[in-house]
Amino acid sequence: MKNIIKITASLFLIFTISVSVVSAQSWSVPNSSKKKQNPYDTSTKNISSGKKIYNINCKSCHGDATMGNMLPLQPIAPSDLGSQAFLMQTDGEIYYKVNKGKGAMPIFEKTLSDENKWMVITYLRSFDKNKKVSKKIAEVKNPEVSDVKLLLDINKETKSVSANLTGVTKKGARVALQGIELSFKVKRSFGYLDISGNDAYTNEQGMVEIPFPSDLPGDREGHVNLLVKVTDDAYYGEITVDRIATLGVPTDPVNPLDERAMWGTRANAPIWIIVSYVGGVLSIWSIIFLVLFQLIKLPKLAKTEE
Amino acid sequence: MNDLPEQKETTLSFEKIKEDILRPMQNHKGLELWIVFLITVIGVCAWAYYVQLRDGLGVTGMRDYVSWGLYIANFVFFVAVSLVGMLISSILGLLRINWITPISRIAEIIAVAFVAVAGLVIVLDMGRPDRVLNVLIHGRFQSPILWDVTVITTYLVISLLLLILPMIPDLAICKNELKKTSPVLKKLYNILSFGYINTPSQHKHLHKMIRTLMVLIVPVGLAIHTVTSWLFAATLRNGWDTTIFGPYFVAGAFVAGSAALIVAMYFFRVSYKLQDYITDVQFDKMGKLMVAVCLVYLYFNLNEFLVPGYKMKTGDDIHLKELFTGNWAIMFWSSQLFGNIIPIMLLVTKKFRKPLPIMIISLFIIAAAWIKRYVIVIPTMLHPHLPIQNVPENFVHYYPSAIEISVTVLSFALALLIITVLAKIFPIIPICETADNEGIDYKIEA
Repeated sequence: MKNIIKITASLFLIFTISVSVVSAQSWSVPNSSKKKQNPYDTSTKNISSGKKIYNINCKSCHGDATMGNMLPLQPIAPSDLGSQAFLMQTDGEIYYKVNKGKGAMPIFEKTLSDENKWMVITYLRSFDKNKKVSKKIAEVKNPEVSDVKLLLDINKETKSVSANLTGVTKKGARVALQGIELSFKVKRSFGYLDISGNDAYTNEQGMVEIPFPSDLPGDREGHVNLLVKVTDDAYYGEITVDRIATLGVPTDPVNPLDERAMWGTRANAPIWIIVSYVGGVLSIWSIIFLVLFQLIKLPKLAKTEE
Repeated sequence: MNDLPEQKETTLSFEKIKEDILRPMQNHKGLELWIVFLITVIGVCAWAYYVQLRDGLGVTGMRDYVSWGLYIANFVFFVAVSLVGMLISSILGLLRINWITPISRIAEIIAVAFVAVAGLVIVLDMGRPDRVLNVLIHGRFQSPILWDVTVITTYLVISLLLLILPMIPDLAICKNELKKTSPVLKKLYNILSFGYINTPSQHKHLHKMIRTLMVLIVPVGLAIHTVTSWLFAATLRNGWDTTIFGPYFVAGAFVAGSAALIVAMYFFRVSYKLQDYITDVQFDKMGKLMVAVCLVYLYFNLNEFLVPGYKMKTGDDIHLKELFTGNWAIMFWSSQLFGNIIPIMLLVTKKFRKPLPIMIISLFIIAAAWIKRYVIVIPTMLHPHLPIQNVPENFVHYYPSAIEISVTVLSFALALLIITVLAKIFPIIPICETADNEGIDYKIEA
């Protein structure tokens, strides 16, 4: 009995000391922050949007979750955020670290919204083997394939776009690839508009069908530039297809430079400003010339008096 | 305006006036030395401009954020000072205020010199001055820049006319009296006197023209500084985006211009020995005028800073805090104190309106007015609405380079040179008008 007490006491001591040493070396998080809970549920939708945010903001340093392909920074390389060692932490701890940053880790307090941060945590939690409640992103259980092809079909009747993702197995058979997220994008004036929706994952036939927004303007004929790609290049490299689709609302483009306005070219200056300028210049300068003309008369006046 | 108790009763004859005023034009060693000095300064600084022309605007301290630096601040200052011509010789002249007679020509000379150099400062600020005509060829009517170029040119022309026309009788005297002068000047006097022999019809005709121009220069003078303020106010930037910028600039210009006039008056009085003409009365009246324009300017300053300072909207807050307590606080408060508040407090006392004290106060006002323009232009430029990330260090700070400072010195030297040369070849005090005021009859021979 005494031994047990001794052992537990020494274990406790070792434990507290080691914890304090670890926390002194690594990143201490205030207790109040640790308890913070992720307010968002672990839905496929949230995981998917978390992944998108992760790819934009975190991937460049941390690499792909669970793949260990982070940037080899010195002295401390970024951790693999999908590793179990990292996911030991509470949601609150991760949230705190994302917010505050440390060393090379940037501060995301202002750059990412709260919702976005929690989405990323939801996504990372989907790799946590200890979390039983977490649903995983539909795991890709596709065979190893080469010559991956993305085929696009545009249905004008139903105003929808469907894509088909296939690849050739080692045996030479072309099979559908399922559970892969695709991105559907429409070219706009400044960059692309994502119209994929929340659930653009290929089904068993490797198909995704998404409705094309009914109010999206196209050019005069309704043409839009459509771009479909496999969202994550990590699977099969960069696979994209683009197509001009006649799905947009036919729109006559309005060039704001065509109307008379303050921002227009000189030829399109508002009438009132041209009138003010020309009128002002003409009236002032005509008086100046009138005075100059009168000035020439001055010597003559001397002669007439004499 | 008849409350001039201490005015000295001088027994001025037309001969004495003529002699007093024409003497410094004929023989003045100090003036020639001063001209040589100014030309030397201009020569040295012209080299700096040559470097800028050769290597481009990269030799200045201006970068992507602060693309309007020292030059534009200086330009605004020059335009401001030039407005004194309109204030003194036109507004007060139209009101038939007598005490301005001996100083109106100095005011007009300052106006001509400063507005001419103001136009030049803009050209000095251009990386490709050879393209200056494109402003007129391709200028948009919507752009305040086209208006500014137009109105500055117009103001220069009217100011020149308002300098020359009232001088015609005096130039006729110069033509007759200054026999020993150079043939070029003789020819100039001959042409510019337009055969004036002071016949009643000539007198009437001439004064009709002058009065027309005096009326004409009021809207143009207001326009020149209002349009200059629109160069700033027409943009949506914190510190510039304000509705009172036009009158604010005009009020500030009256302060700066009056101060410049007082300093010039003092130096001409001492150097040309014109105590009988530019008397203590002129300084006293100018002091009172200065208090008046300073009070107007103070009122505008109160509106300009108190109202946004009370609200502190996003964007404005950064700008105003920088001015009130931040990096610009010393410049901002010294410009307000030395250029406005302290002069008002001092100049209400009669003894500070004596020539020397008021001249010293005016020097402070001029310096403060210049700093004020600097504080208007640069802090706003340092805080763009769309800041770029990871900008080089020299984008977010602005220090004028030696080249820039030299070119600015050049502009000042050039303005002073123009004033000096004009004061050397033209009578600085209106001879005939002074005689008219004193009730002395005179004749001008053909």
